[in-house]
Amino acid sequence: MEPLAFASLAHVRVLLLPVGDIRELEFERWAGEIGSFETIRLGDIPSHSKDDRARFMPNPLSSGYLHLSFTTHPPPSSHTPLSLIRPSDFPLGVIGIASCSQTDSLSSVLDNFNEALSDLFPEGSTFPLARNCFVFEESDGTTNIDVGDHFPGLVVIPALLGNKQLHIGTLIADLCSHILGEFATVMQALESPLGNEYLNASLFPMLPPPSEMPKSLDHDIRSHDSLPPLPSQHSQPELATTSGTLRAKTPLSLKRNSTIAMGLAPQRHASLPPPLAKRKPNVIGAASSHGRLFKVTGDLFLLAGRLEDSEIWYSEAIALFKGIQDTAWHASALEGLATIQIVQAWASTSGATHMSAEVDPWSDILDKFKQASALYYKTTPQHESETTYSLLSYLYTHSVLRQGLLLFSIWSAKGWGPHAFSMMLHPDGSFYSPLANTNATSRRRSFYSDLERLTTISGISRAQIASILAQLHGPWLLHLDERERVTVLQTLASLYGALGYSRKEAYVLREVLGCVMDLIVCGREDGTPPRTPNPGLGIRGVRLDGDSAGQGTVGIREVESAEGNDSILRVVKQICRVHGVDLEAVKLIDSIGHSDSAGNVGEESRKAEQEEDTADMSEAPFGWPELQIGIMREAIAVAEALPDYLSVAQFSLSSLKILHEVMSQSDQYQMYHAASRALTIAKRRGDTRTIEYWSGRPIVSIEILPLPLVRIPLEKPISLLAQERTTASQVLAGYTDPFLYNPRRQSGRAQAALVQGEPFELVVTLRNPFVFDLELQSLRLSTSGVPVESDPIQLTVPANSYHPVKLSGKAMKAGTLVIHGCVVQAPGGAPREFILPLATEEEEEKRTRQRSAIECETERVKRAGLDARQWEKRRSLLSAAATSSSKAAIRLLECKVIEEQPLLRIRRTSLTHGAVMLYNSETTTIRLTLENVSSLPVDFLALSFDDSTIGPAQRSLAEDELSVFETYETEYDLIYQPVFTWDKSQSSRLIHSGEKTTLTVSCFGKVGCTNGTIKISYAYVHRPQATLQEPPDVFHTRQVSFPVLVTVYHMLECDGMDILPYPQDAALVTGGSNGSSVELQARRDLMRVSEPADWCLFSIGVRNTYGIPFQVTFRRSQEGVDDASTMSLVPPGSSTRVMIPVKKISLPTELTSKSIPTLSDKQFVVTKSSLTSAEEQAQRELFWYREELFKMVHGEWKENGGTRCGSLSLRRQRLTMPMLETLRLETTRVRMSLVSYDEAHTCKPIASVQAGTKYLPPPNEFVYLRTKVTNLSTSELVLSLNLSLEPSSHIIYQGVLTNIPLGRLASGECHETELPLVFVSCGRFDIRADVRLLDPSSTLKPVGQGSLKAMVRTD
Amino acid sequence: MSHHLFLLSPSDTPLYQLTHYSSKPSQTIPSPLASNLPSWSTSAFAGTLTALSGATSASQAHHAQGGTVRIGGGQDRHVIQMIANASLDVIEEVMRKENAMYLKSVDKFNEWTISAFVTPGNMKFVLLHETRNDDGIKAFFNDVWELYVKTMLNPFHTAHTPIRSTVFDARVRASAKKYL
Repeated sequence: MEPLAFASLAHVRVLLLPVGDIRELEFERWAGEIGSFETIRLGDIPSHSKDDRARFMPNPLSSGYLHLSFTTHPPPSSHTPLSLIRPSDFPLGVIGIASCSQTDSLSSVLDNFNEALSDLFPEGSTFPLARNCFVFEESDGTTNIDVGDHFPGLVVIPALLGNKQLHIGTLIADLCSHILGEFATVMQALESPLGNEYLNASLFPMLPPPSEMPKSLDHDIRSHDSLPPLPSQHSQPELATTSGTLRAKTPLSLKRNSTIAMGLAPQRHASLPPPLAKRKPNVIGAASSHGRLFKVTGDLFLLAGRLEDSEIWYSEAIALFKGIQDTAWHASALEGLATIQIVQAWASTSGATHMSAEVDPWSDILDKFKQASALYYKTTPQHESETTYSLLSYLYTHSVLRQGLLLFSIWSAKGWGPHAFSMMLHPDGSFYSPLANTNATSRRRSFYSDLERLTTISGISRAQIASILAQLHGPWLLHLDERERVTVLQTLASLYGALGYSRKEAYVLREVLGCVMDLIVCGREDGTPPRTPNPGLGIRGVRLDGDSAGQGTVGIREVESAEGNDSILRVVKQICRVHGVDLEAVKLIDSIGHSDSAGNVGEESRKAEQEEDTADMSEAPFGWPELQIGIMREAIAVAEALPDYLSVAQFSLSSLKILHEVMSQSDQYQMYHAASRALTIAKRRGDTRTIEYWSGRPIVSIEILPLPLVRIPLEKPISLLAQERTTASQVLAGYTDPFLYNPRRQSGRAQAALVQGEPFELVVTLRNPFVFDLELQSLRLSTSGVPVESDPIQLTVPANSYHPVKLSGKAMKAGTLVIHGCVVQAPGGAPREFILPLATEEEEEKRTRQRSAIECETERVKRAGLDARQWEKRRSLLSAAATSSSKAAIRLLECKVIEEQPLLRIRRTSLTHGAVMLYNSETTTIRLTLENVSSLPVDFLALSFDDSTIGPAQRSLAEDELSVFETYETEYDLIYQPVFTWDKSQSSRLIHSGEKTTLTVSCFGKVGCTNGTIKISYAYVHRPQATLQEPPDVFHTRQVSFPVLVTVYHMLECDGMDILPYPQDAALVTGGSNGSSVELQARRDLMRVSEPADWCLFSIGVRNTYGIPFQVTFRRSQEGVDDASTMSLVPPGSSTRVMIPVKKISLPTELTSKSIPTLSDKQFVVTKSSLTSAEEQAQRELFWYREELFKMVHGEWKENGGTRCGSLSLRRQRLTMPMLETLRLETTRVRMSLVSYDEAHTCKPIASVQAGTKYLPPPNEFVYLRTKVTNLSTSELVLSLNLSLEPSSHIIYQGVLTNIPLGRLASGECHETELPLVFVSCGRFDIRADVRLLDPSSTLKPVGQGSLKAMVRTD
Repeated sequence: MSHHLFLLSPSDTPLYQLTHYSSKPSQTIPSPLASNLPSWSTSAFAGTLTALSGATSASQAHHAQGGTVRIGGGQDRHVIQMIANASLDVIEEVMRKENAMYLKSVDKFNEWTISAFVTPGNMKFVLLHETRNDDGIKAFFNDVWELYVKTMLNPFHTAHTPIRSTVFDARVRASAKKYL
């Protein structure tokens, strides 16, 4: 479609017509050749000698131009009524373009040409006025086509002709000459009364058909001339005045006169009024006015390039129209008048432009146009049909458009000047976008400033132009026929676009689209095959060049033809972009080229992804959601109607991606279904392209699931094999590490370890922000490093949720596995990889920074309007980011794949239901049978145990609140009485593939234990290795654990341990009545001791809290003494006290002064006790004696009548100070006795009872108290003795009672003192001795005592 | 006769919209060209064109003899929004040059005249009206601006937050009743 030229009123339009079988290219070439003749000098036009035809001929020396415009399309037939009011719209000449090589075909060419013409222009139409057919010789054939005069209207241009251009120019000039000649004929027809009647008949009159003309114009002009026409007097009054003859109405004279009168115009004007006044009374309605006739004359003169004449005639016409209400014609005349000025200005283009300083030179022209369009606007068609409306609207819109073009041309040409004129006269392709190259959005700023600069230079503001253009738009557009509507709208759109008014451009483009789509849809409904040679709708980009929309019938596309679709879609995309919707947010991918490279991701897509991330975060939305959705819907409808299914899918998905937040639920559903439907159809039709993955970023997180416990490999340093582990420290240490930072400890965030050849699982969390269930055709892992075998899965993500899904894979080799992310593919789409960086702190920080930057940005509005569109913003944001931060490497999820590991499993155990039931401190064994189910042997086996008692104990130890003594007890319990123990020596350590082995673990019943675990660690350490390979410094173990349910019955309870001095009278028992029973005898045997003072009695209560009787045995095993044991049966519910004599012991001070040891290797034991040193000493003694005691005495139990047995623990028993005193061997032993001497100094012991503990001395007799002190300690002692006699008032004694010196006694030495005394009364006496150590440093310390009872009686 | 008010954020997103019907009759005289419109096609695309070119409203107004309340929904509403949006082109240009906040009759499209009010924060109040009523519209805009500023005092309200306050709505309506 040719661009609308401002000065088209002054253009002689020539139709170029392809004739015969001419190839398109050929035609285009010749048409271009011919089209280069935009102007023809008037002087070049050969004037015909015939007078009557010379009316419009230029005079030989005139310097004007004839403006030509070439078109390849005939005007629509509906415009025929305009032929008189707007002759410039019609092709005045026709040039057929044909090419041929054969002479004989010339006739057929001519026939074709004529036929085509008669097709296009029905019989009786005014135009074209002249025709010619150019036959271009095709090749350099030797045949010289000789035309001669055989084919009038046919010119052969030989191929050999050198300067074709010149030849063509001559031919065109010739054609023009014909046209001008024909003008005269037309005029003549109109000037006839009948013609004039026709002319005034209706708003849009037609030339009377030739049949109705009284005489053929061609044949006898003279006769026509000689008629005494009524109008001739009126129509040519000024001629009469100027030439002074009535005959001056002959075209010749008219022409001559007017040309002569060039410089005399003012004069003539002065002379005009009288005829006007004369004419007025004659006006009897439109029919008799000559205004129209004058106007047509003016038009023709304008076309003929005789501007002065034209101006005169126009002025005349306007003067006439002012009187009568012939608005449309009036307006048309005004337009013509205005055009003349431009053409004149153009003609004087050589430099001297008459710039009038005071007003804009164009204001006059603009005023005329304004007046014209106002007149058109007002025109009310009275009784005419719809076509009148259509034509009126056509005239109106074009008039407005001319105004707009006028201002726009001046504006875009930087002012009133030659550039602007030529733009208006001969617009070329680049006409509408003066700044087309700067139109790129990247330079919006400069674009604006450029536009503003144009305004400043030209003095025309864009708003001014826009306000004129806005007048164009209105309901009347509907009156126009399709072709005109498209032309007008697209011109409007491109003007808006060139002005930088993108939104208005988009608005109009929507209408253009509406027109075009309507034609497409209707055309398809009609089902008629396309007639036009090129069926596509040639809309290209924003500038619509709908050439092919000729004749108002748009080429109907066959279903397969996609020609032109792209252009329509581009228009759609442009509209959407203006509204902030990027229809290409989801891109199309050629699946064939892409499928193989889908796996790897280039830097580009990574960058795009980053962009997407930022886009996700950026909150501030752009645009008008309601409009956006409406436009999206329309875009999809357009794509559906074309039909372009892939675009349907692309648009739907893009809109879902961008607008889902503001979209209603039903819309989302609809779009989604439309997209999936369209994709299926596109695929079915064999479209190789497909769409990329669209739903934003579906993957939120990815993590490796920990392997099942039995499969987890644990990394151990190889040095561990060499050292024998001390279990004690391990058990006691528990899980607490004393160091806050331990560099040797394996951090918990270490790489996850996977095993070669064994499956692992990952959890991928997917996000679906939409209201529908999102279907994913495949989801698979994207990895690098070690090859991985992983199957893609198909899944559906529920609406509006986060959805975790499990993926499994299998690493095929040992090494490092890097998991990039996932490759996601939507149904019918292309797969796309999403990389998921590890959520390291760095990454998080980066994200936070980005987010806050964006938040900051959104708060402050720095970009308004179209600049606020996402991609505009993002561009600047990214460029800023790119400069500021260097690319930080993304950390990805990595895991280590270790070589194949053996696998054991527990085949069977000796336990039923994994439970074991025990009496307290009973020991049983558990047998575990292991089977190696892997193909690798196991050559390392280690067991570790855990049970429910360990934890609490360790915890209380860790708390460190226990006293030293309690700590010792707890530790002792942990180390020496574990629940489980394993005898390593028993089982072999090598288990070959498929073999079985049995482990024996003993289990000790410990009250409070409820469950335990046997952990079997195993590994294949000694692998065959390549010799040169450095042996690894780590190995991996695996663990099988076997939980055991333990039930321990608490049945025997020891309490009330006591140590008593061995009673003196125990001898009585032993020596007493002879034994009646075995039991008694046994007890007697037990109690028989050599020296009672050396012994003490250990006693303990044993209570049976269980349901069956138990035999309890206590054994004594003491050095230097025979072992002894006592056994008793403890019936259920009762308690028994067991006694066993124990020889007193004495521990060296070096031992007892040692502090209580700790069994663990704790390094820092801070004594917390606040005991005095004496107290501490006492505590230590207690501790050490107790330990010694427990070494001597052991308790055992046995099920009565059964086989189960165990030991009885005494460790709960406490040793008290009195007990200690009893147990400990005294330092000195004091033995007292009463003796009497007779005269002969023979010693006679006093009678005593109760094994020598009670004496029966006589009263009032001298007796001697003999005190023997023996030093039992290992060192020598200096001792003194104190005696106390009670009641002392009844005893008379000789000597001193206190501080009786005993002297220095060596170890084992004894000393005897005697004290004579007399009991002076009867009664009970109590005598005590108290040995003290004479220690220079301290006070006297009692180290031994003795006592004696005396019963004094008189018999 | 109706008025359409849009409060547009700097990113062209409407934060508030109001359609006000006043009882005053429309005074515009439609061009004879706008009458007797053909119903030339029945396809959906033709419908779009009809609506966008203003033909729907013109014919409606014609049939309804003016004064009756038009239903501001459906396609018509969409067109009005389109017009308001398109008028931003002109508003943006004019506001670059002029210092005034009130841009009266800055644009005309179809039967609509567009007046605008640009706040210092680059909020644009766009009013589509059919008759000239400069003083009334200016007073109305000032009222709306005051109300808007009061809304913006809310610390949780950003330049992009849609205004859903019923108080705001009621007051704007009251003001519209008073001045338009």
